[in-house]
Amino acid sequence: MSTELIKVTINGQEFAVEKGARLIDVCREQAFNIPSFCYYQDLALQASCRMCLVRIEKMPKLQTSCTITCTDGMIVTTQSAEIEKAQRAMGEFLLANHPLDCPVCDRGGECELQEMIFDWGDVEERFVESKNATPEKFLSPIVANDPQRCILCKRCTRVCDEWMGEDAIEAGNRGVNTVIGTYGGWLDCSQCGNCIEVCPTGTLLDGTYRHETRPWELDQTISTDTYSSDGMQLSIGSRGGRVHRIVARDRYVDGLNGEFLDVKARFGHGFVNHEERIKTPLIRYKKGGKLIPTTWDEAIHFVTNKFKESGNNVGVVASPRLTNESIFTLKRFAKEVVGSENYTISDVEDLAPFFNNLSVPLATHKEIRHAKTILLIGGEPEEEQTFTAKQIRQAVRNGGAKLIIVHDTPIRLTAQASQFIHVNPKSLDAFALAFADKSDKTILSKIGAAQSEIDDLLKLIGESEGDFIIMFGRDLSAEAQAVLANVAGNFASEKRRVLLHPLPLYNNSVGANDMMAGRKSLSDVLINSTALLIGGSLSKPSALTDGFLSRKDFIVVQEMFETATTEFADVVLPAASFAETDGTFTNNTGFVQRVRQAVEPVHQAKADWIITSMIAREMGVDFGYNFSAPAAFRTLADSIDAYAGLRYPHLKDESKPVQVKHPIAGKKDLSKETDALRRGVEAMPETNEKIIGTPKVGHKLHRLTTMTSKTAQFHLLAHGNPKPENLLVSPLVQFNLDGTPRVEEKAEAASAGDRISDVKRTAGVTLDGKV
Amino acid sequence: MASVAPTFYTNQVQVTDEVANFSPEVVEEMYLHLTKYPPDRKRSALIPLLFVIQRERGYVDNEGVNFLARFLDLEVTDIWETVTFYSMFNLRPVGKHHIQICKTLSCRIIGEPKITEHICNRLGIHVGETTDDEKFTVSLVECLGSCGTAPMMQIGFDYHEDLTTEKVDKLLDSLS
Amino acid sequence: MEIKAIGCEPLQLKRVHLENSHTLKVYQENDGYKWLKKAMEMSPDAIIGEVKASVLRGRGGAGFPTGMKWSFVPKDSPKQKYIVCNADESEPGTFKDRYLMERDPHALIEGMLIAAFALNSQTCYIYTRGEYKYLIDIMDEAVEEARAANLVGKNILGSDFSCEVYTHTGAGAYICGEETALLSSLEGYRGHPRMKPPFPAVEGLYASPTVVNNVETLTAVPQIIEMGGISWRDLGTEKSGGTKLWSVSGHVKKPGVYELPMGYADMERFILEDCGGMLRDDKKLKGVIPGGSSVYIMRANDVIGKKVLMDYEGLVAAGSLVGSGGFIVIDETVDIVDSTKNLTEFYKHESCGWCTPCREGTDWLVKIFNRIAEGNGRPEDAQLILDLCDNIEGKSFCALGDAAAWAIQGAIKRFPEDFKPYLNGQKTTSTEPEARKF
Repeated sequence: MSTELIKVTINGQEFAVEKGARLIDVCREQAFNIPSFCYYQDLALQASCRMCLVRIEKMPKLQTSCTITCTDGMIVTTQSAEIEKAQRAMGEFLLANHPLDCPVCDRGGECELQEMIFDWGDVEERFVESKNATPEKFLSPIVANDPQRCILCKRCTRVCDEWMGEDAIEAGNRGVNTVIGTYGGWLDCSQCGNCIEVCPTGTLLDGTYRHETRPWELDQTISTDTYSSDGMQLSIGSRGGRVHRIVARDRYVDGLNGEFLDVKARFGHGFVNHEERIKTPLIRYKKGGKLIPTTWDEAIHFVTNKFKESGNNVGVVASPRLTNESIFTLKRFAKEVVGSENYTISDVEDLAPFFNNLSVPLATHKEIRHAKTILLIGGEPEEEQTFTAKQIRQAVRNGGAKLIIVHDTPIRLTAQASQFIHVNPKSLDAFALAFADKSDKTILSKIGAAQSEIDDLLKLIGESEGDFIIMFGRDLSAEAQAVLANVAGNFASEKRRVLLHPLPLYNNSVGANDMMAGRKSLSDVLINSTALLIGGSLSKPSALTDGFLSRKDFIVVQEMFETATTEFADVVLPAASFAETDGTFTNNTGFVQRVRQAVEPVHQAKADWIITSMIAREMGVDFGYNFSAPAAFRTLADSIDAYAGLRYPHLKDESKPVQVKHPIAGKKDLSKETDALRRGVEAMPETNEKIIGTPKVGHKLHRLTTMTSKTAQFHLLAHGNPKPENLLVSPLVQFNLDGTPRVEEKAEAASAGDRISDVKRTAGVTLDGKV
Repeated sequence: MASVAPTFYTNQVQVTDEVANFSPEVVEEMYLHLTKYPPDRKRSALIPLLFVIQRERGYVDNEGVNFLARFLDLEVTDIWETVTFYSMFNLRPVGKHHIQICKTLSCRIIGEPKITEHICNRLGIHVGETTDDEKFTVSLVECLGSCGTAPMMQIGFDYHEDLTTEKVDKLLDSLS
Repeated sequence: MEIKAIGCEPLQLKRVHLENSHTLKVYQENDGYKWLKKAMEMSPDAIIGEVKASVLRGRGGAGFPTGMKWSFVPKDSPKQKYIVCNADESEPGTFKDRYLMERDPHALIEGMLIAAFALNSQTCYIYTRGEYKYLIDIMDEAVEEARAANLVGKNILGSDFSCEVYTHTGAGAYICGEETALLSSLEGYRGHPRMKPPFPAVEGLYASPTVVNNVETLTAVPQIIEMGGISWRDLGTEKSGGTKLWSVSGHVKKPGVYELPMGYADMERFILEDCGGMLRDDKKLKGVIPGGSSVYIMRANDVIGKKVLMDYEGLVAAGSLVGSGGFIVIDETVDIVDSTKNLTEFYKHESCGWCTPCREGTDWLVKIFNRIAEGNGRPEDAQLILDLCDNIEGKSFCALGDAAAWAIQGAIKRFPEDFKPYLNGQKTTSTEPEARKF
């Protein structure tokens, strides 16, 4: 969009607007309210609801303002008797076949149709005929569908296509019989629920929240997603200490993700009020004995005595799903209380090589949306960083961006790519080396890519202008990440800005990296300490199987559920979930965003940072938090450069997130890393067998998540269901009412069923949830 | 959380993964349709191919849709959205002879109601129904472009114009 | 059924009565493909100039000047350009294209090729409604014949002009007669109309420049090349050039396809003499729908003694439109409420469901007509119907909503006496057979 300004007259007032601006946006910005249903920013234009009609001089009929781009000297009227009549008429038409069952509709109270009719509708109802009736149904266990209420704005079909790239839901039939649905009536998709979110009426509804409460009875708390590293902003709807639903509707929250959420963020909240939450502190008085419920005083006292025995041999491990406050407090505990350098993060992937070699700033999601060139090396954002994937998709679709993907698997995003370099399996490190060191031609055969492909890629980058964003993640080794992060700066030119975007797995991976600066590796900590304080469970399977934990003298775990890690714990302290604490997460774009307490901690749970500081105080060190999260944040902000000066009030507006500026390292000598990469390449087999076949939608999204290593929280969606195994194991594995799996791979379904029933017995659920 | 208990399931076609088989001649005919459109616009052939499916399978059935989805690289739901839009496609089986009587103005004022009544009485069914022997289905359709020779009907793809009850009787007698 | 020209030499209908008129042989014996040759010796601009001069207006119903439509195609566009023939003839009362394609398929191919040559297009599609399956077979055969004679395909007639002609089938959707909906359908999607602008001439089929023309429009093109634009225009009037086919149906003795020069004087004579008069001599003329169901219905006394000229301007002056030329004659036995209900059902059935007013409005109107037919009419219903029509007209996404509104508005405004008893609660007298209720 050019920045040239033109003059537009709206209702007699003259405005200077950007050339090419959309009239409906301009009117709304200038506070001339225009009703609309089908218009949705950054989605394909529809112009079908006909609510946004305006009068434009020199045009014969009323025009839909959503389809009009402003031209110089345009004279627009948005309010007149004629327009009001048209708007009333459209409202009347929409209501003609719309059942007036608002009292029993879950959308009642937050329904756009209700509001539009209230503002623009007619008082009198002239429709006396009988309404067309269609029975309500379920499109999937979590998407309820009442076709009668549909006003056919088709936002759902468009977000499914344009946001998710899935195209799972479509319109069928014709004329007044048009319905939203699928072939066979069942929704086979990632179950992101965005169609529910954007639905202006009660047509598509959250099946898990069905008839639970009215929306106005819910307390809405703005918080941050606890699953993906995108840091999506959401609104937790809670009542009476229970989390009932999570939405991103713009009336409640206006975050970087708009109304976008994925299946985990939206539906994966069942764990908060789950009956298996640890209710009280637990002590195992004797190794091999049982965990016995106890009081907080007793537990803290017990822990203190044991830790004092271990002295500086206490190691501290923090999960990257915890808040910054909790992770930082754990680090303080190590340094200030026990005087140990043995502190670390429980994540397999270490972001330190990336951030220590950062040569350009991090990209924000907005910058991804408006990027001109995007290079994705490995990773699968559409499954792991869903919002990043959506931004990429829209950058390509609506912004004309060029997407280049280097991958050993043809992931779904390759459909959008202008270039896809299909490399041999596990050769992304080799590609990183080739990308960094263009002189080495021997690598290419190992990668399985032609020189011309690399040339094309470099040509495309060389010709690109505007923002060029390089993103990669866990598919690359630490050395490769370090090298790529450092060479990125080489591509910058006057016309081209280069930005980096990491693709970590956890909601607070980046924050954990920042908080735990100077950490040791997980194995070092596990080896070098005799006692452990673990915040959240370990997810690294080898740590469990290698028997590290069983050899420790004393282990304290702060956790929500009994997990494989707590089986080794001597003391388990009940920790609060993200919905029960105040704090902050730092997302993969460096945004520090607030986590807010929506419900009181369940049972006797406490926030992780409170638990840690309670132990510290008992051991004689007062962190000075005074049970105040802002104070905890102030301490961390004052001791980490990138966070310097930040306070909670700076973070209060989720629509204006604060980005911490990670220090940019200059060009570094990375010969050590490149040598390591080269050795790796040399050791690579000459493999020609490429992975073909695009992975299925949701194959990672629906895996058991690793918020804890044992209790698969996402699956706890089934909680409250009389027969969970029969109806809903996870959105991927859908079961019919008679209990038969709908998924073709019965084996997969069966094993998923095993997971649910065996989840308590089986130790060691891996990162990917494989038993 | 509330229980997740679906109350109704409607519009549900029993969806299987079975894929229809067609003779080489039919498949060749399908490829012939594909040649009319640019290679990256295979979806254009969807409607012509759906007619082939309907001709071969009697109606647009699940196996046929699965076949087309593979043939054209589409999702079944993409086919569903198109196929349900057009009135000539049957998603359920119809009789061997699909009698489609034009009901629009020119035919109506010239005597369509009489013809419809006669056919329905003779076959003993209502409009929209199929005879028990699955030989005839009667539908009323909108203008078929035969207004000058009204009243008229189409059986299968064949036009029958300037209808009288006698003519209809003769015609139905001749259909086996 | 009659097929003949009145008041002019047959042009469109020149060959239809010949034996085997659909064959290439007969077509070529009657000057067929001569005008393609002539056109290929002209410059594209000259061809477009002739078409412009002829004042040929689109015969599908909208009456948009064809030459102007052609000139909108950007010449410098690097994209492939497409010519699409709109043979989705579905307007109630219209059946002219059917006979042109059945009996003179090569005229259509020649017209398309001339258009393709003028617009530098290499691909033509003939989108025929699915019900006209037998016409598609005829066209396929004709295209193959033409291909064998090097009239279609590579290097036509030894020149460097190559052009393919393909047939494509619709599948039962009136809306696909709307040019952008037709293109959606041709791409394999639901037949929803698209936003204009961009117009098809700029971004049509496969987002490439596309010209969509009716069959009768394209078959007129060889004649224009033959006679020259000006002489062709002079067959008709200054603003409505050439001749026009009228599909006559309803209560006349000789329904059929009639070719009349534009500006043919007196609709009354046309009905009562040329078409053989009223079907039943004792029944008087009640009304005429002159241009397919989508136009305003005319009362008999707007026709009788009014010397209505049969061209675009003449019919507008008489309070209706030429539309597609689907000329439906209605005698006094017809209850206008019933006939309007019938048409409203048609529009409801054919509304694509894209936009609110058309989708919901037509459904509501059908419900109202059903209610009043059952004897539950109320005096205020007339105003309600008119208001609903007003709410649809001009607010719908495409012209289908307007068409539905016009058909109903015309009836209720011009035949209030038919509506009056219903609005006072009278039941319908038209007998609806039990079996027909569906």
